[in-house]
Formats: sequence, C-alpha cells, structure tokens
Amino acid sequence: MAQTYRQTAGNNAASFTLGRRRRWGGAVPYLFIFPWIFGFLVFTLGPLLFSLVISFFDWPIVGQVHFIGLGNYASMFTDDPLFWKSFGVTLKFAALFVPLNIVVALGLAILLNQGTRGSAIFRTAFYLPSVISGVALAMIWSWVYSGDYGILNYFLSIIGVQGPDWLNDTKWSLVAMVVASLWGQGSMMLVFLAGLKGIPKDLYESASIDGAGAIRQFFSVTIPMLSPTILFNLITSIIAAFQQLTLALLLTGGGPMKATYFYAMYMYENAFKYYKMGYSAANAWFMFLIVLALTFLVFKSSEAWVFYEGEMKRKPQKKSKSGGKVKSA
Amino acid sequence: MKKKSTFILLTTVMAMSALTACSGNNEGANGNVGQPSGGNRSAETKTLRFATWDTGDALKIEQDIAKKFEAAHPGTKVQVEAYADGFDQKMAAGFGATNPPDVMYMWDFPTYHRSLEPLNSYADGDQELNKDDFYSGLFNYATIDGNLYGIPAGFTTRVVYYNKKLFDAANVPYPKDGWTWDDFRNAAKKLTDPSKKQYGFGVRAENDTYDLQGFVWSNGGSYISADGKTIDGFMNSKETADAIQLFGDMLKDGSAVLTGGKGQQSGEDIFKGGKIAMWESGIWPLESFKQAGIDVGTVEMPAFQGKPVKGVVAESALSIAKDSKQKELAWEFIKYYVSNEAIKMRVADLPVRVSVVNELKKDQDPLYKPYYTMLERSDNTPAFLLNAKWNEINRQLSAAVEAVVHGSKAQDALNQAVKDSERYLK
Repeated sequence: MAQTYRQTAGNNAASFTLGRRRRWGGAVPYLFIFPWIFGFLVFTLGPLLFSLVISFFDWPIVGQVHFIGLGNYASMFTDDPLFWKSFGVTLKFAALFVPLNIVVALGLAILLNQGTRGSAIFRTAFYLPSVISGVALAMIWSWVYSGDYGILNYFLSIIGVQGPDWLNDTKWSLVAMVVASLWGQGSMMLVFLAGLKGIPKDLYESASIDGAGAIRQFFSVTIPMLSPTILFNLITSIIAAFQQLTLALLLTGGGPMKATYFYAMYMYENAFKYYKMGYSAANAWFMFLIVLALTFLVFKSSEAWVFYEGEMKRKPQKKSKSGGKVKSA
Repeated sequence: MKKKSTFILLTTVMAMSALTACSGNNEGANGNVGQPSGGNRSAETKTLRFATWDTGDALKIEQDIAKKFEAAHPGTKVQVEAYADGFDQKMAAGFGATNPPDVMYMWDFPTYHRSLEPLNSYADGDQELNKDDFYSGLFNYATIDGNLYGIPAGFTTRVVYYNKKLFDAANVPYPKDGWTWDDFRNAAKKLTDPSKKQYGFGVRAENDTYDLQGFVWSNGGSYISADGKTIDGFMNSKETADAIQLFGDMLKDGSAVLTGGKGQQSGEDIFKGGKIAMWESGIWPLESFKQAGIDVGTVEMPAFQGKPVKGVVAESALSIAKDSKQKELAWEFIKYYVSNEAIKMRVADLPVRVSVVNELKKDQDPLYKPYYTMLERSDNTPAFLLNAKWNEINRQLSAAVEAVVHGSKAQDALNQAVKDSERYLK
C-alpha cells in the first residue's frame, strides 16, 4: 500500500524533494480522516469541554452570565431535593432494568441459538423494536398502557384482573417504563447470539460425556465462555439506563408525582425548560462521573468473574491463592 | 395530524427563511451593480418576522391578518413563524442568539422583559392605538417596573362550562351566577353515574398552578405575599390548602374524574363526549364544544360560602424584540393587530377593546357574559409577576398540586412545597 502510494505521489508531484514527499505522505492519512476528526473536535469534544466550562457559571440563555465557581455543584448537593429525587429514581430504574435486560436478551439469544425452524424470522422479529425510533416506540407503548383502552388491560380483563392505569399510577409507572425499555434490547440480543455461536461445540460434547445436564452445561460452559460478552452488555446497559430520557419524556413526562422523573429528564428540564445551562451542565458532569465510577467498578469486579480464553494461566494462580486462605483460616 | 401540519409548516418556514436570505443577498449584489429592474419588487421588500404559539384555526386567522397588513403596506412581507409547543425554546434560543423575531406573542414578561423593547413611548399618546379603549387592567399584566412591554392582544377569564342535556337528564337546575361550591358539589354528585362512566366534573391530572389562582383567591388565600417576598403562611395557608383540597376531595368521593393524564383523554374530549357534566376552562374550547354539538352553557365560578368570587386572567400580548432592526414597522403591525378590524377577525380571542365588545354586544350574549363578569372579578396580581424566581417556586408548587390530585393531603403537600422553595426566597 505504502509503496503504491509513494509511487503515485511521486508521479503527481515529481518536483518534490524526497524529504518533502515523505512529510507530505505522512499527512495524507490524516487528510482522509479529517472529516471525522473535524466532526469529533467541533461537535463532540468541543461541546464536551465547553459544557465543563459553563458548569462553573450561572448561565441563563437570556440575561447575564456570571462565574460562580463550584456554586452549581454545591447547590446541587446541598439544597435541591429534586436532584436527589431524580437520582434515586434513576438508580431504582437501573437496578430493575440492567439485570432484567441482560436476562431477557440472553434468554432470547439462547432460544434463537437452538436452531429451531424459522429462527431467522424470530431473530428479525425480536430485533425489529430496536429499529423503530424512540418516539414511535413511546407512542405504541402509550396505547398499550392506556388505562381505559389499552390492550394490556384488555388482556388482563380477560383473565379477570382489573389492570391499573399504568402510566398514571405512582406504583406502576416505573415498572411500566422498565418493561417498555426492555423492548429495545435487540442489539444486545444479537451480541449475545454472536457470543453463543462462538462457543466451541466440543466443550459441550466433553461436558455431556462427563455427565453434565443442560443446566449444568449452561452454568459451567455457557456462562463462563460468554462472560466477556456479559461484561460488555452490562456496561452498555448501565450507561443506557442512566441515559434513559426519550421514554420518560414521551410516555409519562416524569410523572405521576415524579415517579419516573429520571435524572436525564431533570437535567433536560433544567436546561431547556428552566434555561439554567450552567446548572444543567453541572448535572451532566455529575452523571458522567457516576457512570465512569460504575464502569470502573464493573471492570474491577470483572477480574473475578470474566473469563478470557487466553488467560488460562491465571485460574490456577487464583485457586492457589484462595487455597492458601482456606489453609490459614 | 396537528403535529404533521406543524412539521410541514416549520419546513415551509425554514425554506422561506432560506429563500429570503437569498433575496437579501441579491439585494446587496444588485445594489452594487445599479438600480434593480422595475418589476423586481422583492428587492425592496422588508420582511417582518412575527412569532406565534398558535396552531390550527387560530394560526390561519393570524396569517390572514398578516396578509391584510401586507396589502395595506406595500413592500412589506410578514413572515408568520408558528412555533407551537416549541415557542418558549425558540424564543429563548432566538434571544440568546440575538436573532429573535421582530414581533412576538408574549405572556411571560418576568422572564423575557430584559430582551423586549419598552413600549411606553410608542403607546402613550398614540391616537390610533387609543389605549383608553382597552379593558383597564389588561396593561398591568404586561408592565414591569413601570415599563410596558406588550400590547394586550387577547385574553380570557375562566368559567364553568356545563352540558345542559346532562343537567336535564338528571333533573338538576342549570347553575346560575352567584352559586356556591356547595351547590357545585351537590350538582356534581347528582350528575355522576359510574355505571355510564359519567361524572359531574373533570379534574386535570396536570394543572397549571396559574389557573388555580382564581380558586385560591376566591377562598381568601394566595400563593405569595403581596410584596412577593414570603410564601410561608400564604402558599400553605389554610385558605389556599382548602381551595386545592376541594379537587382532591371530589376525586375521592367519585363525583369528579381525573382527566388528561398520560394516555388518558383530555377533559375537553370527555366533555365533548358527554361524559362529564361540568368543565372549568377559559374561552379556548368553547368553539369546539359547539361544533361537537354539545348544548353548552357557561356560568361564572362558584363562590366559597360568604366570600367574593375572584378570577384570573390569562392574557396574551404582542411585544417587540429589543434587537429588532425595524421597530417602527413592528409597531405598525402591532397596532393593526389590535385594531377593531383585526380583533373582529380573531374570533378565538375575547376582544380586548371595549368598543368592539359593545359593537358586537358580546357582553349581552349569555354564553359570553360570564367571561366579562369574571374579568370584573379579576383584580388580584398573579404570583409570577410578584417574584422573579417564581418559575423555581412554581416547580415545587406544581409538584404539590399533582400530589393532591393523586390523593395526598393538600396541607401536607403545600407545607412541603414551601419548605422546598424557601431557598429561592433568600
């Protein structure tokens, strides 16, 4: 590649000295990725850093801008009940959503991996919700959940259960949000499916020769072999849970009585309803730090439960360590 | 459907603004070359941007008014920018980028007045405007620190709508001005029939605290002290709490139904369906009630025993942006917009001029009379004009009201709201 390139460059600009040509040649790859780099700097990194700057300001859209140092962060922690409220709602949502999301996606992936007839159709069907835009998805769910005319309550009424008004009931609206969010797990399911396909068949064969049943095989072969995929999906799930906004905005508006008032929504309202750009930026950076910390913790813990094929050597080491502990105890 | 038409409209507006930008460039280019050709009128056209939050029929009327203004002022183009639900965001963004529309609908003067042109010098002594012809008091809502920032364009007070057919069927006499909340609640109970999913009254799941002020004032309460500095003892006073508790109680005893929550029908729609007998609102739904074939009556708000009824005015005004480059033209447009001719075109608004009301005999019409009776009863100052941080306080108050319609005790919820709001009053 490089050889070909140098030739063309030489043909095009024969008058260049060798040194210049080399320097010029070094820049060309950057030229090719320049559009992306430009976009990244201007539309991602720039705003990112700028948001850090404005988080130290009292920054209304209309009116005077003041530098207030850590004032936004201070008032966030000390005297904004809504901050803690919304943070709590998001934690609750994440605690319900993340495990369920992984279980459902993994369950579907395993079912699809059985190789039953028509599995391609099922795969498409399960993935389909991920293709639908969040707004359309919210519309569909608002019909499903409608208290009087919703299809969910209709089915419940057939079995003799009077369903609640899901989106207007403080007890049920968060659960309703979790279920609606689970619907978009398609891409996660595909990642699991790819992971499952990557597990060598001979492992199962030898396990069955050793007398392991299906459940034993699942926990002793599938789960360990899939653990890197689980780690990846766990982290993306956590991030998705913390960023959940579209559904809350469109389905419940954060209500009833702030039962689904997610942190992202709190942030959004501070910025675009109350025009407190600085305060909202501070909110955003706090969320960034929380997600960062959680990701870090998950990575740390992964040493204990994630198993990479290339790391065979570490297992015996660990065993001897724990063995030592047992001895000393 | 509404969203779709809004989308089409926004796209059109976008395309239009792109096109005008082009013609603007042409103007400059032509100017350098020499005289523009005689037929090319667009080179001299001045474009006035007018922002509105209205959609549908009201928007169509506004576009017609703009066309009439264009006809009377050759060389002028009025670009009606319909921001609909995104109005506040578009405004804030426009002001922030110092590129706001020249003329705009406005109600939230405490938030925006710093970006608006004071209109005192325009309005005072302008014979054409004839300030004295406006209902007195309407200007107060657009005045901050003695500066007038908007000319009243439309207003509404709030009345009780009732479905005559349902009243007849239940053998309940029609309500009359001067009725009390006890009358109201008794009627609501008689008009409720759970087996038909029919209710006496509808309570909004999401209330605008602004609209509830009429009830609170009628019971002798208020959200905030007259000097705008204290809420403790006002927002959580017994009078305020009792007024708001009323809605919670009616929901509890089943004579009212919660409407307009997420995935629920709006109260207006249920009223149109003949399933709620009484509904409380401004002028906005009247036309649609008539179109739905409801034999609708209006009556002024009920009184709390022995206390005078108070009303709250929802007013819309027209303002000029401080950053506008054609304030004279903008002022001409506003004057036309509030002229007798234009007021008569705007049938969705209550006329702001006494002369128009007298001419059309609006205050004689039994359907319209209660709005004007309520206007006479609207002399309290709304809370948002009294405290610059009302937006923040209101966030807590709204949460409290929401808690009440979901079954909390009003007194507790309001105490909490006061506690959570105190930091904004320091």
